[in-house]
Amino acid sequence: MAESSPDTATENEAPGLPNEIDPREFDGEAFQHDPFPLYQRLRDHHPLFHDRFHNRWIISRYWDVDWCFQNNELFDRAVYKPDGPYKFGSTHIFGPNILEYGNSGQHRFLRNVIAGQFVGAKLNDFLPMVEQISDEVIDKFKGAGEVELVTQFSSQVPIRVISNMLGLPREDEDTFVGWYQALIAGLGFGGKYLAMGIKARNEMWDYIDPLIDERAKNPGEDLLSRIIGAELEGTSMSKEEIKGFVALLLAAGGDTTDKAIANMWYHMMYTRPDQLEDVKKDPELWTNVFTEMMRYDPVVHAQFRHTTQEVVMHDRVIPERAGVILYLGAGNRDERVFKDPDTFDIHRDDLHMGRENRSGRYKDGKPGHLGFGIGQHFCMGYAMARQEAVIACSKLVEAIDNLRPKFKDHPGIFSPSIDSGGFRSPQELWLSFDVKR
Amino acid sequence: MKLKIDLDKCIRSGECYYNHPEIIRMQDNGDPEIIVAEISTPELKRHAEQAIEVCPAVAISLED
Repeated sequence: MAESSPDTATENEAPGLPNEIDPREFDGEAFQHDPFPLYQRLRDHHPLFHDRFHNRWIISRYWDVDWCFQNNELFDRAVYKPDGPYKFGSTHIFGPNILEYGNSGQHRFLRNVIAGQFVGAKLNDFLPMVEQISDEVIDKFKGAGEVELVTQFSSQVPIRVISNMLGLPREDEDTFVGWYQALIAGLGFGGKYLAMGIKARNEMWDYIDPLIDERAKNPGEDLLSRIIGAELEGTSMSKEEIKGFVALLLAAGGDTTDKAIANMWYHMMYTRPDQLEDVKKDPELWTNVFTEMMRYDPVVHAQFRHTTQEVVMHDRVIPERAGVILYLGAGNRDERVFKDPDTFDIHRDDLHMGRENRSGRYKDGKPGHLGFGIGQHFCMGYAMARQEAVIACSKLVEAIDNLRPKFKDHPGIFSPSIDSGGFRSPQELWLSFDVKR
Repeated sequence: MKLKIDLDKCIRSGECYYNHPEIIRMQDNGDPEIIVAEISTPELKRHAEQAIEVCPAVAISLED
């Protein structure tokens, strides 16, 4: 018996009609810059789109995306193999890592090992360090009168925070920033960047190798020691798994937050400069900027799943083991849920502002953004990302007067490839400011 | 021993039922619901203690 989604409205999909979608549009340059018109056609005319060209099914409405996340047992994160074990980490640039463990018990184990580090009291312990690192990074450019925010600020703070949490020596931080930047460029752009990324990864692994042995002998309070010491029913992680995990933390914990900060500033500079004035008067509003950015145009637009059985949605059957793509970025713009979804507004009253819930359900009755996913695979670093972004942005406004765009026009936010999981961000963001005397 | 959840304190974070579906399940509105009458085995006790630990709202307790 196949599972059935709540909404079973039938849509006409006769070929040749004006709203027919050519799947090659997903590979086009236009989609990577502005995917929202295509998202709207998907939501309105093809709420379940069978993309035969890429061999996948596309989900785009808010409550459909929510339903897929909530029914996690029907949609596995890993490549689903009903007749055998999961195949881990053979080809991923990070090596074996939690993102490939799907719905297995191993996934819950690994998640529990580190999830606690990124929330509650543990997180609060790290906040003074985030403030200090933000100050240090800002000090380097605050006398210059201008800054390229992406390389000089947003891509500097989160990676330094993560390497601190791991307990890596502070004097090696700059080396780490270099490896990190090569690694994420490799993931994002491929080609020669991929070769450079793999080289950086290998150097990083050679660097971490002896550290793992050392921490295994003399464990400390740091995250690396905790990962090494974690056990599930007598088994701990292999050295390869630990290295894969560290690489993942750098990218997942560093890169996403890095791009979130850049996106927040892009919107404050180019989308709603009027609302930046509100934020300057009340820095608490940075949490709203973060939340609305995560709705309007989040860093991650797509999540990938494989069906574990036949699933019925919109009166059609998605077969077992089919590829499914959930467009978070499309659900977030669903006019069935948000008023004027294409307007960026930090004072929006139809969106849950503030801390996200893994359940996607809130006591104020408002819907949340889908930018962190929902449920079993909900972003582990959500609280950390939010706090870090808010602290870094507040610190910048505090330290620097009259921040403004250096150039009148900006090419905008884009992703190297939305359907390959490429993160959305501005490539460069030049700002001018008055130097404080 | 019995598990208790204070729904006034609960913020529907979901951490308890996603990490410990053996003892707690999600209701449609996001509230948690305890599905074991008695915390009777060491295995259930381990789940209960960890659920208490992961709750960001400090809404879960274990009572005799």
